Amino acid sequence: MNPARRIGVVSVVAIVLVTAAYVIGSRQNSGEPVHARLRFVSLAWQERALAVNRAIVAEWNAAHPEMPVEYVQGTWNSVHDYLITSFETGDVPDVFHYESSVIIDFAMRGFLTDLGPMIDAEMKDDILDVAWASVRQPDGSVAGVPFLMESLIGLYNADYMSRAGIVSPTLNDPWSWDDLRDAAKRMTLDTSGDGTIDRWGAAIGLRNCANIMMNLSIGFGGSFFRKENDRYVVRVGDEERKLLTTIYDMIHKDRSTSPTSIGQSGPAMIPGFFQGKYAMMVGIGAWSRQQLVENAPKGFHWGVIPPILAKTQEAGTSAQTLSIPVASKRKSEAMAFIRFMLSRENMARLAQSDWMLPARRSCLETPEFRDPATGWDITTASAKFLTTGTWMGAPGYVEWKSRVANPVFQEYFSGRLSIDEVAVRIEEESNTVLGRYQERAR
Amino acid sequence: MKLHSRLIDAATHAGLLLFALFLVFPLIWMIGTSFKPTTEIYSGVVSVIPEAPSLDHYRTIFQEQSIFTSMLNSFYVGIASTVIAILIALPGSYALARYSTRWNKIILGWVLGSQIFPVILVMIPLYILLRSMMLTDSLLGLTLVYVVWALPFVLWMLQGYVHSIPVEIEEAASIDGASRMQVIFRIVAPLLLPAVGASVLFAFVSAWNEFFFALVLMKDPGLMTVQVELARFTGMEGQARTGPLAAASVLATVPSVILFGFLQKWFSSGLLAGAVKN
Repeated sequence: MNPARRIGVVSVVAIVLVTAAYVIGSRQNSGEPVHARLRFVSLAWQERALAVNRAIVAEWNAAHPEMPVEYVQGTWNSVHDYLITSFETGDVPDVFHYESSVIIDFAMRGFLTDLGPMIDAEMKDDILDVAWASVRQPDGSVAGVPFLMESLIGLYNADYMSRAGIVSPTLNDPWSWDDLRDAAKRMTLDTSGDGTIDRWGAAIGLRNCANIMMNLSIGFGGSFFRKENDRYVVRVGDEERKLLTTIYDMIHKDRSTSPTSIGQSGPAMIPGFFQGKYAMMVGIGAWSRQQLVENAPKGFHWGVIPPILAKTQEAGTSAQTLSIPVASKRKSEAMAFIRFMLSRENMARLAQSDWMLPARRSCLETPEFRDPATGWDITTASAKFLTTGTWMGAPGYVEWKSRVANPVFQEYFSGRLSIDEVAVRIEEESNTVLGRYQERAR
Repeated sequence: MKLHSRLIDAATHAGLLLFALFLVFPLIWMIGTSFKPTTEIYSGVVSVIPEAPSLDHYRTIFQEQSIFTSMLNSFYVGIASTVIAILIALPGSYALARYSTRWNKIILGWVLGSQIFPVILVMIPLYILLRSMMLTDSLLGLTLVYVVWALPFVLWMLQGYVHSIPVEIEEAASIDGASRMQVIFRIVAPLLLPAVGASVLFAFVSAWNEFFFALVLMKDPGLMTVQVELARFTGMEGQARTGPLAAASVLATVPSVILFGFLQKWFSSGLLAGAVKN
């Protein structure tokens, strides 16, 4: 075929492709009217959680053929950009799944419907106060309905504990941080005697550790965020320093906590826990039990460490939520779907499938959330120690966490900053970031 | 001297082999992981070859996600945008290279300048523009976006190549009685094949790998592209469903590899060797 003919053929193919694309691409415009379906963006991604979400949507669609829901699977890494562009262009999902610390920011910018007047008394009473506190704005409006509670737990290798003669902590006899340090030291081993540690007593995923530091510092009385003269400021006082210095000492002085923790996330350390490189994992999400139940090698015995006692056993939490954008044209239908999705029975299914705490009291009381074999007993019992941090509702918190707290904490744990330098940098840089948001809010 | 040159030859080949291994290793690792059962992935044992090969992850991706539909959508917009971009860029690049006007520098400057805008900056205006033309949630809309996105680079690459074709060849054809169109299509176009091949590959792969436009512009789950589908195997805090992600990634790699195989012969050099007497 000569070049001229070849180019002609290619042109024809291009025209056919474009025409077909137009036909396929505009098919939903020619059928049912746009938004005839409620669009629900969900962030479930684990196999079981996906199946349960889809099943609940299918049940809703079967029961409400006049008001079908279209299930759209979003992703945690991209949902923020997806939602921001949706809010700005007005082409929004009717219901979306996200987390409390972020939706408060969205609500403050006027993107979300106040769900307070739309929530019925049964749901209002049954959902934990701490969960409501995480989604309530300073003016009392509600940015979303909380349904899954994040909680940080500790895990231990039961065989290493018993071999080291350490008694496992219990709900009635929890460990203090000193107990944890002591246990980590006793389980750290150089089995070959070559001066290299073969098993670390503990591992803590410190790659993006602001979340862990903030939530667990609450037990020491640390809050980081304070309100001074009606403005949020960040202060790093003695209480805020205690957890930071404890973990620093475990890594650098005790040499009982793996230094590779500094560059790794909690999930990335789970294979090392299975291989016996670490005797304990501290400050990992409660969902991690799923990996242990489903993927641990045969004969791997493990347990959950109850909330560690500092001044108290309290720890911060945030909730996963369902919200309705202001721009949704079908708010009451969207709320009816949320009521169905987060009924007592369905919330229990969602929490079980995601291995997280349900926000309803009535769910927590059921036997399925008390099973000791899967660590639900201790995880559920720890719900009473959950509280919301003072940073909930602080404008700019999300940016602060990623731009200020995570890098500064990481530099500290790497040994490049002293604790005093951490305090100075966190306070200075934080107040610049927060100030920008607060100026904008005024 | 012979021994010395042989040694250099062997060292060069060894270096190239190592480099090729370095490049291909992630692909091999991904293929191995896609056949490993989840327990083996979590065991932390470092091995490329699975101990107990399984097709579970491939089964999962077909049962759970519309991987074929999304690949088809990506293939569709990839091919369409590539063909359109090349058809526009070919005459455009020829005009830029051969007709020297005061606009050339401005056009080329704009082509380069357009590459510095971050995607997020243009996203919202672009969305509103496309919505006003009913082109959001449409493969045609996405195709047009990819054409616009790939065109500057393709244009730049082709016009550089047209420059390198000696104008004497075209003059010789004209002396032999060829018209301007005959010169372009019978003389210049065949000589441009290596550059067209590279441009096709660039335009297709950039459309195939693009994530953010597809994420924001396409709302209908049936119109999602493969990169958006792949992201669904990742979760929060850096977690991922490694096995299904690897299996889906293996499938997502296949079209680009096939396309490269087809285009490889176009990359052969030396088409112009000896064309003119210097």
